Amino acid sequence: MKTLAPLCNLLLTIAVSVWTVLIWDPAPLAVMLAVEIALLAYAGQLRKLAKGLVGLLIVAAFFSVIQLPFDVAVSIAVASGLKMMVMTVAVLLMLGTTRLPSLTAALVSQVRIPYEYAFMFTSALRFMPDFIAESHAVREAQICRGYVQSSNPLKRIVAYAALVEPMVLRAITRSETMAMSLELRGFGSAKRTFTQQIAFRSQDYLVLTLIAVVTAVVIQYR
Amino acid sequence: MLEIQQVSFAYPGHAPALKNVSLSIEAGEFIGLAGRNGSGKTTLTRLMVGLGKPASGEVMLDGKPAKDGGPAVMARSVGYVFQNPDRQIFRDTVASEVAYGPEQMDWSDAERQSAVDDALNMTGLTEVAEAYPRALARSFRQRIAIASALALKPRLLILDEPTSGQDANEKMQLMELLGKLNQQGIGVILVTHDMEMLLEHTRRTVVLHLGEKVYDGPTVDLFADPAHDVSAWGLRVPDAAAIAAKLVQSTGAVRSIEELATRIQHQLGGKTDEDSGASV
Amino acid sequence: MDAVQFEDFSYHYPKTGNGLDQVTLSIPVGSFTVLAGANGSGKTTLCMAMTGLVPHFFGGSMSGQVRVDGQVTTDRPVSDIAAGVGFVMEDYESQLVALTVFDEVAFALENTAVPADLIRVQVAEALAAVGLTGLEERELSALSGGQKQRLAVASVLASQPKILVLDEPTSALDPEGSEDLYALLAQLNKEKGITVIVADHDLAQALPHADRMVVMESGRVALAGTLDEVLARMVSEEVYPAAVPALRRLKAALETETRKYSSWTSADEAAAEINASLPPMRRLSLSA
Repeated sequence: MKTLAPLCNLLLTIAVSVWTVLIWDPAPLAVMLAVEIALLAYAGQLRKLAKGLVGLLIVAAFFSVIQLPFDVAVSIAVASGLKMMVMTVAVLLMLGTTRLPSLTAALVSQVRIPYEYAFMFTSALRFMPDFIAESHAVREAQICRGYVQSSNPLKRIVAYAALVEPMVLRAITRSETMAMSLELRGFGSAKRTFTQQIAFRSQDYLVLTLIAVVTAVVIQYR
Repeated sequence: MLEIQQVSFAYPGHAPALKNVSLSIEAGEFIGLAGRNGSGKTTLTRLMVGLGKPASGEVMLDGKPAKDGGPAVMARSVGYVFQNPDRQIFRDTVASEVAYGPEQMDWSDAERQSAVDDALNMTGLTEVAEAYPRALARSFRQRIAIASALALKPRLLILDEPTSGQDANEKMQLMELLGKLNQQGIGVILVTHDMEMLLEHTRRTVVLHLGEKVYDGPTVDLFADPAHDVSAWGLRVPDAAAIAAKLVQSTGAVRSIEELATRIQHQLGGKTDEDSGASV
Repeated sequence: MDAVQFEDFSYHYPKTGNGLDQVTLSIPVGSFTVLAGANGSGKTTLCMAMTGLVPHFFGGSMSGQVRVDGQVTTDRPVSDIAAGVGFVMEDYESQLVALTVFDEVAFALENTAVPADLIRVQVAEALAAVGLTGLEERELSALSGGQKQRLAVASVLASQPKILVLDEPTSALDPEGSEDLYALLAQLNKEKGITVIVADHDLAQALPHADRMVVMESGRVALAGTLDEVLARMVSEEVYPAAVPALRRLKAALETETRKYSSWTSADEAAAEINASLPPMRRLSLSA
């Protein structure tokens, strides 16, 4: 999937979601999940996501089991759990194999979404680690003044509230600097170049054709 | 008072930040900690307040391991002033900000109030006690951070590059404050890149290089002795010391340009201030 | 024509009312100017006015005008001015907006619809100028403080500006890092003729490379001119005396009506001249 055009990856993920909605038979869903996990391993993402996947499995299993007391057929309950997993893993697979700037470029030039909206996602990702680091810094400063994390969850929540103000203020200062930086660099003009490789090539058209075929089959047999 | 015994430390996934560093700090010292970015200065100071545990070796406070109590207990003896004051400020008035530390302690209200008042007094913040900290200038915010640490009545104060972003006047005021605190018996450890400041105000300097301690002794000697290749450690010899080193037979070792000027004037034939035309 | 000209320029921020007061100043093309002054003296506002952010971004009130490359800043949008003036802000970390090194440097060029091939060339040049070649795909969060700073410089160099303005660029750097940065700026100044304006509290680091200096005080220009002139007047008129570099303070303390020294640029030079001026009995034979 890493070699496909970003928009193709996106369309593939959407197609998979559509199929998952239409299919109620656990067997094909299980096969889809197995294929996705194989693709994750192939893309080198499996180790990173292993913990999250286990968590997802637990949630999906819970979701399945909880339907049984309500007179739902076992196969349907199992299918619901599988659907949840297949769709989530599909999104994870897309995010793991597509560069975000490329996806942004594709959304803007091929799908005609305004650049400002797409840019919001890149910015969020860019500043996430900084904000997390900021919260750690404030917490450490508190620790150096005698703060001990309470075993009482309520007290813990109150303690977290102390972090909010400095972080919000820092966020505001940062965003002002960022806004200046954007303005200096011509952000917001109508015409824009994208240096990312987003053009469709033969393999992308091949995948699109396969998607169309599979979708037809799924609709036929539902 | 504070013993660092053969401490080694590495951040997960990185090369060791500290290798077998030993250091002994008595009460009331004024120590400079110098070295390149990445030499281990910040790591060492963090271990001194109990933020993190050494991979090997021990940090001992009054003969007991620091890791037993952790940073919350260490805070009562070793105060830490982070480089960026804004990361430490989260309350709406100066007084309540400084009161945060005492509030974490099991002290009586009267004890807490007096601790806050003393801290504000020592740092000259009494007049702005009710002000909103973020509306004040950066140098004020830094003093708030210092007062917040002082409110716990520590015996040692560690400051991580407190003069970054400060103008020349603010730097002077800060060093005056630190000198005053030191005179009152509070030990000071100053992590700094400012060589002039190091020479003029600290009595002892510890230099770290690639996680190892490469110098621990009188600050004057660090720069006066030409055998020390300080530039290899990422340091710069302050002009006063460099000139004094060349003219040492005439001037001896000096700690500031002003001191150097006085000595040279002496050598030039004891010219008085009137002849000089400029005051020193 | 000067690179930047302030013509009786006054400005007040909308909320605080602080700003600049009747600033008249010329920055010659190809000069390397150091901007000094206490916190709050107007250094940052002066930098902002050179890029048009003051007044376009902040609003507020102004009188007089600022000319950059001959054109008045109020006549052009900020991005237009920015094509000729690269600005590295004090909070350079927040100035970085992309995810990877390449994306960051390419950003301004992408926004102005420069063709993709040309972007690749200009990005490569900018990265080479700051010594970050090979790190194109590195994520911003994996860079050190010094690297992020050089990245900020590269990202403004990409548009090939004729003027470079930096506001307190060395606060997070150690002495070697500062030296490297100033060496880079000096190189850009001498080899490419870029006009450099740097605001810095650490004058000792900046001055060896500069030829001009401006000292700000309460929003006004207290002193402006060649390095030598300004330093001499800082001493004689006691303007921001605490910031006068060590060698200058020494020179001022030792000079008399009859005994003058040259403008030392190094400790060795000072030691040699002082030694030469000592009475013969007290002179030392100094090693090189």
